[in-house]
Amino acid sequence: MRSTVSQRTLKRVNRWKLVALLSLLGGCFLIILSVENLLLSSLIAFVVSYTFGPGVNFLERHGTSRTLGTLILFALGGGMMLLFFWGIAPYLGETLLRLKDDMPRFIEGVSRFISELESRVQGIAGPLANIDLTSRVETVLTTNTSRFFEGLPSYLKTFITVMLLGPFLAFFMVKDGRTMMRTVLGLVPNHLFETALSMLSQINTQIGQFVRARLLESIIVGLVTSAGLFMISFPYAVLLGITAGVTNLIPYLGPIIGAVPAFLIATVNQYSSLDIALVATVYIVAQLIDAGFLIPLLVAKIVDLHPVTVIIVMIIGAQVLGILGMIISIPVASTMKVVVSTLYRHMIDTRT
Amino acid sequence: MNFMWDNLFRRTDQGQEVFEALRQTFVFQTLSKKELRFVQDTVHVRGFKAGEAVFRQGEVGVGMYILLRGSLDIFVDHPVEEELPPRSHLVTRLKGGDFLGELSLVENNSRRTATAIAAEDSILIGFFKPDLLEILERQPATGVKILFRLSEVLGRRLKETTVKVTELKEEVRRMSERV
Repeated sequence: MRSTVSQRTLKRVNRWKLVALLSLLGGCFLIILSVENLLLSSLIAFVVSYTFGPGVNFLERHGTSRTLGTLILFALGGGMMLLFFWGIAPYLGETLLRLKDDMPRFIEGVSRFISELESRVQGIAGPLANIDLTSRVETVLTTNTSRFFEGLPSYLKTFITVMLLGPFLAFFMVKDGRTMMRTVLGLVPNHLFETALSMLSQINTQIGQFVRARLLESIIVGLVTSAGLFMISFPYAVLLGITAGVTNLIPYLGPIIGAVPAFLIATVNQYSSLDIALVATVYIVAQLIDAGFLIPLLVAKIVDLHPVTVIIVMIIGAQVLGILGMIISIPVASTMKVVVSTLYRHMIDTRT
Repeated sequence: MNFMWDNLFRRTDQGQEVFEALRQTFVFQTLSKKELRFVQDTVHVRGFKAGEAVFRQGEVGVGMYILLRGSLDIFVDHPVEEELPPRSHLVTRLKGGDFLGELSLVENNSRRTATAIAAEDSILIGFFKPDLLEILERQPATGVKILFRLSEVLGRRLKETTVKVTELKEEVRRMSERV
């Protein structure tokens, strides 16, 4: 019992413990990546659990047990989602059908617009600028549009799976997240335990604040855009508002990507310059509210990343996971920043 | 089969042991049974081999430890000469029920002021700043009780330190008079 373990043996045991822990975490990550829809469901679960967590804590502070608090909030959230989809589903379905019918006209309009642009460029630059963009763009648009509408049932299936699996995982993350975290921390070697605990706590706080802030920002931008487009009687107001809200999650590029469909619709339908100016005003007002109030109040300082870092991680995210990668690149980068800075501090501490 | 049952009951025994240790620790003495159960679900039970360091002097600490089983040697490093490594000096040996490192619970970027090494195979209960913050977030009344007791401990330590500093000052004054 009293025999002292040599430092060498301790180091070896700790190294093996660390290897086992990292292998376990790596294995879990690989499973999440390889099982269909699990990555998206896990991300939804994280977002839901970070959104509902403070609410459950609030109920717990007022004497409700954690299980009951989680049940109450999930029942309320689920009910509201059901009501929302029940109310909006017929409108969304009708809008999508209208969009499907209008699509050939839009493609034709875009082709005409590009063709005019091409002839103007040729008029200035002569035969040097003979690039025949029109037919290429028309082919790409037609193929992708028909692929989108053909794939719509499968997207719907994925959506339903993710919307069922995500909240299911989130329920247990909110209710038992702490126990799960303690179990994982139990596997961390002693010499790294305090560092790991402190690091996880920092990441948890930072990502939680970031997710809640971005979600609120996205909802407000989406609502403002929808309301503005609705007020000027622009078609597909709700769909365009949802698009603007979702794409707004992509830093810098998101607002532009979100506005493109509205301008395409306006151009193809040959709206007057005044109408196009009104559409532009709606998007500019939404962005002014975002940049002037929402970002300074909600998002800034939560994730302290340099703009160049943001651009680089976004490009990497886009390369690896497309639009989803662009959206999650910032929280992933800020997590990496916390991990690296905490481990660096730990290394400096243990050396001095 | 017996081995399985042994393990099952050992775990329950340890749970009870942790509960008792928390109940007897000064910081948690004012908590009700329900509150103690909540704290028990928050703390971390860690095993250390004889000779293994719990923490080292100068490292950043994030919380306190309560000694559940075994014993800990507390060393303080004293610098000898600039180029030589500091010499460690055994200050005390802690036994079951003792607690250490409570200052780290309230101080930001707190550095450990001594090194704690397990004198034999030991089991410790770790209670850290993120755990305290979670208790304050989920059950503020419990958190406030803990913080109140913690400030009592820190106040008592401050008083002891003030008395020691006064004694040392007196000693220095007397020595300088003699010189």
